[in-house]
Amino acid sequence: MNLLTLAFRNIRLNRKKYAMYVFSMGFSVFTVYTFLALMHNENVMLAFQSDPRYRSLLSSFGVIIMVFVLFFLISSNNSFIRARKKEISTYALFGMTNLRIGKLLFLETLMVGSATLLAGIGAGIFFSKLMAMFLIDMCMTNYVGDISFIIDPGSIFITALLFLAIFCIMGLSGLRVIYKFELVDLFKAERMAEGKYKGSVPVLILSLALIAAGYIIAASGNALVVVLGAIPILVLVISGTYLFFWGGMPKVLGIIRRNKSLYYRGENLISTSAVSHRMKSIASVMATIAVLSAVAATAIATGFTLYSNTELNTYINTGADLIYYGGDSDLNKEIYRVMEANHVKMEREETIALYETVPKTENGPDGDIFSGYSLRVYPETEYNRLLEASRTDLEPVSIKSGEAYYASPVTPDDGGKAFLGVTLDFGDTDIRIVKVSRNNFSGMGMFHTVILSDEDFKELTGNGLIYSSADAGGAGTATLMNYQGALSDSRLNADLAAVLDESDAKYMTAYNLYNESMQIFGLLCFIGFFMSGVFILMTASLLYFKQIMAAEEERHQYQMLRRVGMDEKTERKVIRKRLMPVFFIPLAIGIIHSIFAMKTADTVVFSNMIPVENSYLSVLGFSAVMYLAYAAVYCIFYLITKSQYERIVHS
Amino acid sequence: MQILKVENISKVYGTKKGSNRYTALKNISFEVNQGEFIGVMGASGSGKTTLLNILGSLDRPTTGRFIMNGIDVGTLRKNELAKHRIENIGFIFQDYNLLETMTLKENIILPLSLMGMDAKTIEAKLARFVEDLGIVHVLDKYPYEVSGGEQQRAAACRALINCPKIILADEPTGNLDSKSGKDLLKLLSYINKEYKATILMVTHDVFAASYCQKILFIRDGEIYNELYSGSDKKQFFDSIIDVMSMLGGERQ
Repeated sequence: MNLLTLAFRNIRLNRKKYAMYVFSMGFSVFTVYTFLALMHNENVMLAFQSDPRYRSLLSSFGVIIMVFVLFFLISSNNSFIRARKKEISTYALFGMTNLRIGKLLFLETLMVGSATLLAGIGAGIFFSKLMAMFLIDMCMTNYVGDISFIIDPGSIFITALLFLAIFCIMGLSGLRVIYKFELVDLFKAERMAEGKYKGSVPVLILSLALIAAGYIIAASGNALVVVLGAIPILVLVISGTYLFFWGGMPKVLGIIRRNKSLYYRGENLISTSAVSHRMKSIASVMATIAVLSAVAATAIATGFTLYSNTELNTYINTGADLIYYGGDSDLNKEIYRVMEANHVKMEREETIALYETVPKTENGPDGDIFSGYSLRVYPETEYNRLLEASRTDLEPVSIKSGEAYYASPVTPDDGGKAFLGVTLDFGDTDIRIVKVSRNNFSGMGMFHTVILSDEDFKELTGNGLIYSSADAGGAGTATLMNYQGALSDSRLNADLAAVLDESDAKYMTAYNLYNESMQIFGLLCFIGFFMSGVFILMTASLLYFKQIMAAEEERHQYQMLRRVGMDEKTERKVIRKRLMPVFFIPLAIGIIHSIFAMKTADTVVFSNMIPVENSYLSVLGFSAVMYLAYAAVYCIFYLITKSQYERIVHS
Repeated sequence: MQILKVENISKVYGTKKGSNRYTALKNISFEVNQGEFIGVMGASGSGKTTLLNILGSLDRPTTGRFIMNGIDVGTLRKNELAKHRIENIGFIFQDYNLLETMTLKENIILPLSLMGMDAKTIEAKLARFVEDLGIVHVLDKYPYEVSGGEQQRAAACRALINCPKIILADEPTGNLDSKSGKDLLKLLSYINKEYKATILMVTHDVFAASYCQKILFIRDGEIYNELYSGSDKKQFFDSIIDVMSMLGGERQ
């Protein structure tokens, strides 16, 4: 029997063990190929040609994926070899040299690898159209090109080359594992295979303190603190997480062991001692998985939240599909002509009179808080008409005489509050600002907006203290329009832009902002999904390999336990309690990390995007969907692992 | 009082018609009374471990039945068997069979905790036995940290802790040096006398067997001979050697 037939035989006999291995390796190939193909795809290149930033974002993401794939394949290969320790030691016993065993395993890797390479690339080609469509659909709402299957010889070649190189590295690292095997291990049941790991209270406290400190900075709600503290937060939380798994969790298990009434219940005794026995070999993996889960969960939740709120965010900024002011009187007709030519119906048109003033302020911090700039002024009813006609869901206002509301593109938290309580001095009348809110479109060319009660407005225009902008040399009215296809019809928007550019009107369309946001958020969301998919599948299958390997070593323990009189029900309970912490503690910690990461994202990004009272809650709502999806995939892996584990310890 | 009654037990391995049919046990019958210390001897391959596995309900006989503590074990279902094992049988194995992941103490209390006893009762029971068996000082150590003798004593303690009706010992001295082996045998005798424990020990070691009160010799799956210990230990020892050499001689 030569090595080649032996390798064939081994693959056939180990096909159950190989199944998962093949699956995860195939997925790696699929990932890498898909990525390369996407990078070289004409449609994608065309779609993203507008901005080189996106390409560099995609390619740096590609590098992260490659590094991760390499790390994952090598460590799962090593686990796989360890799981076959008995078989390999038997070869050594019969006089096969380590080098020959290494060659045998390398042959197996190559044979299985080539098959998965073909399958992975095949799947990559098969799904390439779908993936490109997915990417373009998420990022390019207005893209109308035809997307074809991608059979990109360059990508196939690079993928194959890359994986052949990875297989060689796997072969070498596998050889190192083989050299570390001691033949005696074959005859001694796993004795002292893993040292005890007691953990310590100071480390536990330190780890929790580090994580808590990171959380406190992250949850501070102050954008400046959060941005400056990004690196310290990461360092604190990551080091805390590793310390927790290295020294803290063993201690927690130790504390559980001291609670006798709980610990002495049969299945707890067995599973807790088994987990704490495994702690040393699995601590780093668990910590890494917790951190990766946090990264992936945050990426996917951020992307999803941004993406879901793009439309909302667009209208917060632009108010309506089109707002313009100034321009000659023919402009309106021109716009209607364009719409008719494009067979688009106008849904809403509203014209608002524009007024302004330059008030004196008494109690600004540096004298005049408005620094002599003009203020846009609306009476209450006019302002409410503007809000009602807009595509936002801003609440209408109601103002008492002598009071005013202030609005500007700055949120109250980001400094808008400075205007609260400022008194506007209109000679006989003093008007106090009692409420500050955010509005990006009411300014119509000005930064500050002030809304007065109808009576005050009437009185002050009568005095001439507030005057029409037409008198100040600006536009006397602004027109707000909502129409069909505003966000997706690129021809319509090009035509509209041509007409508006030709006139001397100032204008703002939702289309431009929306599509720009969709490109960047869609890409982020796509990367988030892709990365989470890769991380989740690889970390979960890494856990699978580790547990299957452990199952092989723990088999004799279950035999012994059955002899002592453990029934099947207890055995299932033991296995459940033995595996659950390994899968779900890293997941839970990852998600908790991510909840705090989302708080920072909320502070920096979302509080400006989502105009609700507590934007963090709504962000958490969007995140929860993704966390649930993430947890569901982990559950599936847990169930697969559990059934395999049961099968192994029962055989 | 009768603890165990074995009636015509046979064990056949392999398929009914298959050519590799192998009969491990043939019509074995015997009885064990409470407080007896019985040895089962035979050359390797004679079927003594098969017998022990069947009595320990780890394996089922092909034909025949046996009654332990008034229960016909053959009629029990799988989960009832687990309960039966945990309540009525204590095991001592050649390779100790302690869980490497647990301290000796945890190993010893395992049967009690599987029975669902509360922590207080467990501690009380534990305290009574460990002092007597002289393993108090190693209780919080892991199996790989202590000697084989100490491991086997812990295993004996585990077998004893739920006060089983019968202790089944499979070559308990097989892995021990002669001094530890002797200590363990003294311990088993002590357990037998002090706790009135019924012990059935499989061994091929003549010295170990000489501690028993009665010895069953098995050859090719059948009971070949029985020996009773008299007052003269030396004579008992010699007669065991005689029977064993006869067994060994005929096999060749």
